[in-house]
Amino acid sequence: MRFFAVICIIKMHKNAFPHDKLDREPFSRPVIDNDDLKPARPGADSGSGLNRREFIRRSGMALAGAAAVSTFVGPRRAYAASAVELTFASAKFYGKQTIAEVVKAFNDSQSKIHVTYKELPPPSSSTEVHQSLVQQLARRNGDPDVFTLDIIWIAEFAAAKWALPLDQYFKDNTGEYFPGMVQACTWQNKLVALPWFVDSGMLYYRKDLGISAPSTWTDLIASAKEAIGSGKVKFGFLWQAKQAEVLVCDLVSFIGSNGGAILQADGKTVSIADAPAVQAVQLMYDLINKEQITPADVLSWDEEPSRRPFTGGEAAFLRNWSYVWKIAQSEAESKVVDEVAVVPLPHFPDKKSAACLGGYQYGINASSKKRDAAVEFVRWMSSPETQLRFATQLGLCPTRAAVFEQPEIGTEQPFMQQLKEVFLGAIPRPVTPKYPQVTLALQSAVSTALTTGKVEESLKSAKQKIDTIVKA
Amino acid sequence: MPVARTLTHVDVESGIRFPRWRPGAWLLLVPALGAIGTVSVYPVLLGLWLSFRNTTLSSPDDAFIGVSNYQQLFADSQFWNAWGHTIEFTGASTLLETMLGLAMALVLTERFLGRGIVRAAMLIPWAIPTVVTSKMFGWLFDGQHGLVNYLARFFGLIHTNINWYGSPEFALPTIVMADVWKTTPFMALLLLAGLQTIPPSLTEAASIDGANPWQQFWMVRFPLLAPSLLIAAMFRALDAFRIFDLVYVLTGGGPADSTEVLSTLTYKNLFSALQFGYGSALSTVMFLTEIVIAVGFGVFLLKRLQEVKL
Repeated sequence: MRFFAVICIIKMHKNAFPHDKLDREPFSRPVIDNDDLKPARPGADSGSGLNRREFIRRSGMALAGAAAVSTFVGPRRAYAASAVELTFASAKFYGKQTIAEVVKAFNDSQSKIHVTYKELPPPSSSTEVHQSLVQQLARRNGDPDVFTLDIIWIAEFAAAKWALPLDQYFKDNTGEYFPGMVQACTWQNKLVALPWFVDSGMLYYRKDLGISAPSTWTDLIASAKEAIGSGKVKFGFLWQAKQAEVLVCDLVSFIGSNGGAILQADGKTVSIADAPAVQAVQLMYDLINKEQITPADVLSWDEEPSRRPFTGGEAAFLRNWSYVWKIAQSEAESKVVDEVAVVPLPHFPDKKSAACLGGYQYGINASSKKRDAAVEFVRWMSSPETQLRFATQLGLCPTRAAVFEQPEIGTEQPFMQQLKEVFLGAIPRPVTPKYPQVTLALQSAVSTALTTGKVEESLKSAKQKIDTIVKA
Repeated sequence: MPVARTLTHVDVESGIRFPRWRPGAWLLLVPALGAIGTVSVYPVLLGLWLSFRNTTLSSPDDAFIGVSNYQQLFADSQFWNAWGHTIEFTGASTLLETMLGLAMALVLTERFLGRGIVRAAMLIPWAIPTVVTSKMFGWLFDGQHGLVNYLARFFGLIHTNINWYGSPEFALPTIVMADVWKTTPFMALLLLAGLQTIPPSLTEAASIDGANPWQQFWMVRFPLLAPSLLIAAMFRALDAFRIFDLVYVLTGGGPADSTEVLSTLTYKNLFSALQFGYGSALSTVMFLTEIVIAVGFGVFLLKRLQEVKL
């Protein structure tokens, strides 16, 4: 019955607006739309960029829009019927604004391209975001045209030829981003993604305990013991060792801070059982069992369980991402407002600090037939203006060094400016298209090493497994 | 005598059952068969077919590789580790839930003031979504701030906090506890239904014959309840074997793989690593183990039913 009504409305609508110039409703469309997640039917009308379902929906809405106009006479945008329709899928981020609002700003800024945003789950459900993207991209039907991807999927998406190489479009712009980010977006010498925002692991500590920023792990252990000894805190140093992705993030910064690596840059040589890595994992074990500045509970803790005691005033040091800052400074949620400082993580003697690089990038679907429009959209999304908007409105740190110098960042997000130094030392997780398998092997082996203390043995078995995975 | 309108007829000489040609009746079965075929038979067969291939969504690999996946699986220590944990979990939770559920059912079948309210309230744990239960048990058994540690220390049962989820020896038992809390009411409900079908006249007769309550239970009620008990336990065992949400939320399989079960391992292989071939081999083995469990209970049940008939 309802369907019949819609058909009638369309017929009426067609008669009323034969040229259909009004197919944009004046109000914003719902962010989530299941219809959009269905594959476009082959042979769907690609000339005007509308398939029948889409057309029916929009026509109905346009009619409603026309009715609205007759009631509230106000300014409304005429939407060019010739506009290129793009779809953009991204994990959900929000702050004072949402991604949908940013996309709307793009749509409003010009009339040649219209982008439909498809919201995916938030980055905390990273596995679900990955799964959803992979299922869509594997169909190779060009939908979504543009997507955002976690830094750890870049090699996988590039090797599967889902991500379009971008060198011809952006090779003159790569110098504008942090070099580490461009490197992370490069796979086999091809730029396959464009940086969006950056995050990394960092060390939070309590200024009020009279601690100075530790530069080596030995410094940190000494300060932590002192803080516990003074009775002001219960825990020395909190980090994350739950058998999950976060364990690999912590692992990367421990091993990197000893000059080691999990996988060499060639993507084939596994160095997880070499001396620097073994020493680093031994340190992780010792922090819990020998130095006892870390409670054994971290073995089941990911980000939030480790964050709560710290902002509750129970810990001297915390390794975590940039999101903790906002919570630590919130009167409602934190007992340590204004008492927290952030520095790069410590390192082994004579080595360099290494933070685990995180963040999301833009990719263009290699099967998209609307490449030029997609490139234009991505260029706008990654422009200094939009990055500034993401920084001030959504709290996402820019990947362009120049944006950090903007005065708005200083007034809206003063904390972000301190992070520039942290990000410069950030290193990526193992870069290989088989990363999803590698990380599972690492999680299992390192969790075993930290639980049983059989560090060398566990890392050797991890090396064996990862060898098989990357060479397959 | 009316002609039996069945879809089969039995050949008198050989005793073999043959399908009968009844287009109308068969036609009526089409919707049901179609539904079962599409949602049940087809996915199982597709999974089986995938388990003989090296399909990985993120790579172009997609070829028939025979039984390689199974060879790899049986040589995989992580698989056997998960298989063992799943069996442990299934055995422990089914046993505990059946015993506790039976005790609850026996209480709830008696008449007492407020029985209706208690019966309804009992179902609350079962009605709570498992993810919520998981979060709740996460807080209760938190190693530093959990209520369980606090109470145990308060009553002098322990001197230092137990690291429930962060130590391999406690993690799986804690998950079993959470599952027992959640699912015992379901068992109690099924067994309560079973108890209600036993005519009270039988226990009355036994008590007139001088049987004490203990004898009444073991000689009269228990044998009659056995079929319900077996069916309930079978349901529970098959369900427990698929345990996923509690583990996924509480420990993610850690620490040191000590809570990795088949469902979480399969999920990781299928949806994180996107190894559809290998993951399907895993789920096929799960499926086969479930069939063994079901058949085991089934045989036991049939025997039991025959005994009751005799």
